[in-house]
Amino acid sequence: MRISKTLLYLVIFIFLLTLPLYTGVYLLNVMDIILIYMALALSWDMLLRSGQISFGMAGLFGVGGYTAVLLHLNAGLNPIVSIILGGLAAGVLAWLIGVAVLQLRGMYFAIVTLALAEIFRVIVRNLPDLTGGPEGTVLPSAIFAGNSTKTYWLTLSVALVSVITSEIFRCTRVHFALTSIRNDEIVAKSSGIDVFKYLVFIFMVTSAIQGLTGGAYAHIYGFVSPEGSFSVDFTLLPIAMALLGGMHSTWGPVVGAVLLGMVSEFLKLQIPYGHLLVYGLIIVIAILFFPQGIVGTLGKNLKRAGGA
Amino acid sequence: MTLSHKLKQGSYLIVLSSAILIMVLAFWKPHVLVEGLQRACLYAVIALPMALILGIVGIINLAHGEYMMLGAYFAYCLNVYAGMDPLVSIIPVLLAFFLIGMVSYRAIIRYVLGAPELNQLLLTFGLAMVLEQMANLIWTSRPIKLPLRYVSASATIGSFTFGTYEFIYVGAALIVLVGLQLFLKRTSMGQAALAVGQNPRGAKLVGIHVDRTYLLIFSLSIALVGAFGAIFMTRHSIFPLVGAPFTMKSFCLIAMAGIGNLMGILWCSLILGIAENFLLSFRGYAGWADILFFALIVGVIIVRSRQRQIK
Repeated sequence: MRISKTLLYLVIFIFLLTLPLYTGVYLLNVMDIILIYMALALSWDMLLRSGQISFGMAGLFGVGGYTAVLLHLNAGLNPIVSIILGGLAAGVLAWLIGVAVLQLRGMYFAIVTLALAEIFRVIVRNLPDLTGGPEGTVLPSAIFAGNSTKTYWLTLSVALVSVITSEIFRCTRVHFALTSIRNDEIVAKSSGIDVFKYLVFIFMVTSAIQGLTGGAYAHIYGFVSPEGSFSVDFTLLPIAMALLGGMHSTWGPVVGAVLLGMVSEFLKLQIPYGHLLVYGLIIVIAILFFPQGIVGTLGKNLKRAGGA
Repeated sequence: MTLSHKLKQGSYLIVLSSAILIMVLAFWKPHVLVEGLQRACLYAVIALPMALILGIVGIINLAHGEYMMLGAYFAYCLNVYAGMDPLVSIIPVLLAFFLIGMVSYRAIIRYVLGAPELNQLLLTFGLAMVLEQMANLIWTSRPIKLPLRYVSASATIGSFTFGTYEFIYVGAALIVLVGLQLFLKRTSMGQAALAVGQNPRGAKLVGIHVDRTYLLIFSLSIALVGAFGAIFMTRHSIFPLVGAPFTMKSFCLIAMAGIGNLMGILWCSLILGIAENFLLSFRGYAGWADILFFALIVGVIIVRSRQRQIK
């Protein structure tokens, strides 16, 4: 069982790694988008496992993007290094916010994160000397000179980082700590879990992943702007993906991202000005009718069928 | 311990120093004071219904600003197709949004009342996105503003000129606040609502119809905020995203005042409104006024968590 599972993962990995050999540029670009959103959806879900909800993905995503682009432009750093530093910057910022806000949790934390994208947008817009102000900053050339195979490998590695982080958390004591915090904070506290420390830690890690993703995205498309980098898309889509796929698991958000990522390509062409409506509807319907998501619902049914 | 409590408890120092501050401000930058008051009341009117929902139904409605945005578009449509003045259309909008509130409660909100807070937040966030994008599809994202003559009315005292139309916000805030207080304290329905807010199970035991109370309070709040949209759109241009910042500012005010403290919201919005206008009055810093509420809410949360630790 165990060996066959490892083998399966290995085959999937090799297939994904060699995907550029079999497909064209268009599909690779679609894959880029899917993998970017997959990393965001998974990082959002990782924080959700602790019972805290963040609406601040777009903010940290944009911070990562801006940091990466500005470091590359002004300090002449290698793009890859600047992307990693973008992730670190988002992580440090999240640490500061988390230390200040995570003492009061639940809706207070949610609202503060909801405001994050807006706040960073205002800050970026008001520092025109550094960030280019409302027009944003354009890179002289995209990363790898726009080579779609290499950019695909970049997004693939970003997505892998988030999948591996999620799996590491799932297999270690972090998982138990976060689950018990989600289920009952008082019990968690009396079992000796430092609730505050764990929450700040997980918020920091997930934000760093979001910053990393933002850095990669900014370098692939070669520009950052207050409206584009902090767009509500980067909050709304990952949430819809994670909810559709199923919360509190690694594979839920992954499945959701693949499904919705492909659907979104189609939707963008069909209803260019209102395609976000669909994601809002998915969130509402998922919460009302199947809070377990596709993976959770299917898993339960399979188990029931297996038991019967 | 809320801010207004502290004021009431006779911290004369605070009262005195704020009075001095206001006097200084009145002579130095009088428009900051007047416009701050108007803006404060604008925030208060929007925050009050949200506080009502949060205090009694116990749901944080992230789609609050979006309902106001819809109300504004509603008034706009009434004006374009029926030639109705937005201020007259307050009444049909109020009725329509009472119905919309009822439908929203029956169809959506009711199902997450017992669910974890997380699901409630996600649901209302999804609802906000749906409403926003619906407006985007129907009316596009182009800002809309009606050409109304009376909104630019102004008065002059000495060398100081200010807009008088915006005092309509002050009037609206007072009407809503006093009306809600009377409703909650003097009518049996309002008292039942307060009881439900304190303890739904206890209220049920003494024979209060909890679900119907929730329905009433939710619809009433949506009606109020929708109707205020009609007033809002006379002065401001409207677009699908116009409501979202108000949701966050409203929550900031509620967190400052303490949940269930309607009067406190007025005081807190005065602080926020005047402070924002103070920042706006300096050239070069105006862009930063939008993040003031964020600094305020983070500050409030830090103070609150300190208080909780001491306890």
